[in-house]
Amino acid sequence: MNIEQWIDFAKGPLFALTFMIMALGLARHIVIQVYELVTEKGRRLTAAPWRKILNDAASWVVPVKQIMKGTPFFSSVSYLFHIGVIVVPVFLANHIVLWEKTLGIDLPSISPGWADFLTLFTLACVLVLLGFRIFGSRQRSMSRRIDYVLLVLIFLPFATGFLASHPSFNPFRWEVMMLVHLLSAELLFVVIPFTKLAHIVLFGFDRLSAVHWQLRPGAGDKVADALFGKEARV
Amino acid sequence: MDAKDIAPGTSVPLPAAEKTPFYYIEKPVTENRVDHLLRAFAAVLEFTDYKALLDSYCTSSAKCNRCAVSCPVYMVSGDPRDIPCYRTNILLEIYKRYFTIGGAIKARLSNGFELTEEVIDDMLEVFYRCTACRRCTQSCPMGVDHGLVTRLGRYILSLIGIVPKALQVSVREQLEGETHNTSKVPKEALLDTLGFLSDELNDMVGVKMEFPVDRSDRDYVFFCAVSDYLMEPDTLMGNAAVLYAAGDWDKWTIGTTNYDGINYGLFYSDWHLENIIKQLLAEVTRLRGKNILIGECGHASRSAHDFVPVFGGPTAQPVVSFIEYTLRCLREGRIKLDPNIITERVTYHDPCNVARSGWIVDQPREILRSFVPNFVDMTPKGQDNYCCGGGGGLVSIDEIHDYRMRIGGKVKADQLAKTGADIVIAPCANCKKQLKELVEYYELPCRVMGLHDLILRAIEIPGGKTPAERKEEAALMEM
Repeated sequence: MNIEQWIDFAKGPLFALTFMIMALGLARHIVIQVYELVTEKGRRLTAAPWRKILNDAASWVVPVKQIMKGTPFFSSVSYLFHIGVIVVPVFLANHIVLWEKTLGIDLPSISPGWADFLTLFTLACVLVLLGFRIFGSRQRSMSRRIDYVLLVLIFLPFATGFLASHPSFNPFRWEVMMLVHLLSAELLFVVIPFTKLAHIVLFGFDRLSAVHWQLRPGAGDKVADALFGKEARV
Repeated sequence: MDAKDIAPGTSVPLPAAEKTPFYYIEKPVTENRVDHLLRAFAAVLEFTDYKALLDSYCTSSAKCNRCAVSCPVYMVSGDPRDIPCYRTNILLEIYKRYFTIGGAIKARLSNGFELTEEVIDDMLEVFYRCTACRRCTQSCPMGVDHGLVTRLGRYILSLIGIVPKALQVSVREQLEGETHNTSKVPKEALLDTLGFLSDELNDMVGVKMEFPVDRSDRDYVFFCAVSDYLMEPDTLMGNAAVLYAAGDWDKWTIGTTNYDGINYGLFYSDWHLENIIKQLLAEVTRLRGKNILIGECGHASRSAHDFVPVFGGPTAQPVVSFIEYTLRCLREGRIKLDPNIITERVTYHDPCNVARSGWIVDQPREILRSFVPNFVDMTPKGQDNYCCGGGGGLVSIDEIHDYRMRIGGKVKADQLAKTGADIVIAPCANCKKQLKELVEYYELPCRVMGLHDLILRAIEIPGGKTPAERKEEAALMEM
């Protein structure tokens, strides 16, 4: 295969396959969560303070108050980074064609100027976040290998996409850049459901701690019975 | 310490803990703790419903470290093991490695996390360095409830015998002892104390109030932290004064079978939490009481308010906090507080257990502002407050006093000093004990009191001495 054929392959079947892996992988998380919540919590779900849960969640959509507390710089960068990683891949004009062709969805697009700005901005944010992980002693102490790897994996499609769409900055062949762009994005698709990036869907379930505080009546007894029989347990 | 050495889930050398355990344990399991712990974890997963939570947290926890800056323990200790996410991660790693397919496969492929005796030693300490104040939960962008995970970790540890002796002994007396309360106060001693309180009140306000004991069909059955009967007579007299002045003296009662609102199960065990709630409900049902009235105590209020509906079902009696009750009386004009009595500068400490959820934040401030001209708030306050450093049962563990003073309570002590207050109001038995110790340790120029201790000084009692007369008498007594 020549490189054009590789690009067609990456744009076509490979895109469909990796996108499917991501979609099914994320759906799996949702199904497991809903299944576990419904079967385990059952009617106690209705007793949870849903209004408070939703209010709390809503306060994180534009988390001005939260950002100002404790780590304003890190939190602002992290928040703006999220805008970039959501808006650019989904609403970029070139991608919209792809969505329409493969998924049949017609989305509005952002202007090329905005796309460039957001892309560079997101790349800068990734570098800052990476800097925090590497140079911040607190963050470094908690960081796993995957936390660095994921930032690099996110950096790649943004950087290659920018270079591919700006030939004057691109030192390599357009085709090479495009192929790397496609493959790195597809690698990210595959990785999403198996790593912390699954918070794309799990963040909603993480916020249900008020539901989880609705403990199961009688469970304590059963645990104690299973471990100690009917002996004294205090 | 190199960053590699303190990666989450791996064990860290514990020089101090190896010599003396962080707290006394009654009958520690010494052999095969790893097997025991995994068995206990499996039983918990089988019968409780923490699975959804663990599945969600262990995939999506981002390790962003925002929790670290919100933690008053980590702020002082600077020990990476005190970062809430580090502590949570230990439990999540165990879950992932031993109870998920992905973790099992990963363990075959690489040298990942492994549960060892050292990890258990680490857990033993870090899960009780945390005061379970849940401040970090609010700063987590994902909403990971580190307080709930810490509690789960403690629960699993307790199932292999790792639980501070101080808590275990108290709970045993409460559930299996003759007195059914954590301070081992027998019924006779309770009745004596109530007689003494009645006499004191008579001397102070000039009205004889006989405490209603074991009366049936009353609106309120009263439960406070039982230690209040031994250590906080002013809080109880303040409670009584409000009930009397509001005209509700014949509407409440204290039961003599069970009069302890303390529930250490909230801190470490589902089994204990449920059974202590059931014991409390049994007493209310015996007396055919209509409401459960909880005295000034953070965790007692929260455990009753949040878990009576969970374990008692939808028909269980409603739970009212005494602060809510007093505010209602004040708003309805049933009690009057003299605004000329309290001249000192007063501040208010929010007990985490009632404030973090936003349940009781404004009510006590509305009461205080109505009669304290010189009221000042701490920063941060309310839902954002700092823990006193004695939360999560830590205050009851005497052997960690030094830790509670130097690390757990340091941020609070600084905060107190900054307000320049003469009096700090803490409507919680645990906070009061911890704050009193902090005031002594750091030689702060302030007094720690309950909310109703202060109300007692300013409340107008129908047919009794006026607050001004009482103040004069008290001044003479002090001279």
